Amino acid sequence: MRLSRRQTHELAGAYALDALDGAERDRFERHLRRCPACERTVRGFAQTATALAMAAAVEPPPGLRERVLTAASVTRQAPPALAGRHGRAATRPGSGVPGRSSGGRSPWVPRVAVAIGAAGMAAAVALGAVQISTQHQLNSAVAREAQIAAVLTAPDARIATAPTSVGGTAVVVVSRTQQKMIFTSSGLPALPSAKVYELWLLGPRSARPAGLLPPPSGGRTAPLLASGVAADDKVGVTVEPAGGTSSPTTTPIVVLTLPA
Amino acid sequence: MGSFRSASDPAERSDAEPTRGDSELDTLLTMVARGDQGAFETVYDRLARPVYGLIRRVVRDPAQSEEVAQEVLLEVWRTASRFDPARGSAATWALTIAHRRAIDRVRSETAATEREQRSAASPVAVDEVAETVEATLEAERVRRCLDGLTQLQRESITLAYYGGYSYPQVAALLGTALGTIKTRIRDGLTRLRDCLGVSW
Repeated sequence: MRLSRRQTHELAGAYALDALDGAERDRFERHLRRCPACERTVRGFAQTATALAMAAAVEPPPGLRERVLTAASVTRQAPPALAGRHGRAATRPGSGVPGRSSGGRSPWVPRVAVAIGAAGMAAAVALGAVQISTQHQLNSAVAREAQIAAVLTAPDARIATAPTSVGGTAVVVVSRTQQKMIFTSSGLPALPSAKVYELWLLGPRSARPAGLLPPPSGGRTAPLLASGVAADDKVGVTVEPAGGTSSPTTTPIVVLTLPA
Repeated sequence: MGSFRSASDPAERSDAEPTRGDSELDTLLTMVARGDQGAFETVYDRLARPVYGLIRRVVRDPAQSEEVAQEVLLEVWRTASRFDPARGSAATWALTIAHRRAIDRVRSETAATEREQRSAASPVAVDEVAETVEATLEAERVRRCLDGLTQLQRESITLAYYGGYSYPQVAALLGTALGTIKTRIRDGLTRLRDCLGVSW
């Protein structure tokens, strides 16, 4: 159906305020791609809406900053949309904003980036956490990063974050189908050399050791992979003597419930 | 207010001074696209308040708003490479994402039911929009410009944008014909745009 020019101009306002639904929005977007004048109008309206948003600014809850920045540090970025039809179609006209999700995506927890390349080192770079000096280290790092990448790219990968009682934020990315998780953190205080942060899988009956966190570097701990994550496990971190222990001896600084 | 432009030609350019052309934020977002986490921290500090505030307006529930805000701000990080300065400011790009995610949240079926019940219990307070949460200069300016609209224009825009209603829902809430609401939103935005001196 073709809209008259007049009808289209009238829809530009509702469109810019996201007040069009379904078929009408799709129809308007198709028209917009062929109508530079409409696109300019929508752009002006979108800038106007931005002023409305600015006027609504309020301070977000404490902790959001830390969680967002930490989640970003383990989330690979999407590649740029290349010029041409594909890139054009991938964004919403007039805004460069990625197209509306087609539904079905869990809105509760951000999906971890799905675009990690096949090369494990790409993930290593994305995670910003790998330092390599020997071929052996390189081989094991590549293998480890490939496993980490596999979790991050799992279709069911979900992220959970929580503040710890000693400061900083714990971040867990879990894939239920792979029964694996990745733990990382930001802002944890450095420990004396006789102490270490130990990761635990906390089942209903027992705690299983899941590895020692690498010492924080640049405010973050490098990602730690844990396998054998059971459906009802929670994840905890305790401070233990160097070398770690087989069961927790102190109160966890954080306990995370894994997203379903 | 006497100088506001006729809404009859939406393609007509406003020759008002550009408002706060925030090219610094544009530059920062370009750096974020290249993986610069430091730049992202600054972008966060610049955008978190409007992003969260806008989502609060639409979603209302604080816990859900926080979840949506986290998702949006992470999306800013993730999709920064899709930002094209030629097509609008970084703030508009990010706040468009924020508004759309907030809308996605409230238009999901359960949320719709709850909201219908809520709005049946207490009619939507349109005035709430005017009482700005923080008395910033920008908020003051926006309020002044909103005051310059007709009541129907103002209500249509605020219900659609802050209320997150589709324009047929706005029409139903205001008991006004669909076509009228479409026109009022368009005319009101044109007037608002010119009053704010938005460059476009």
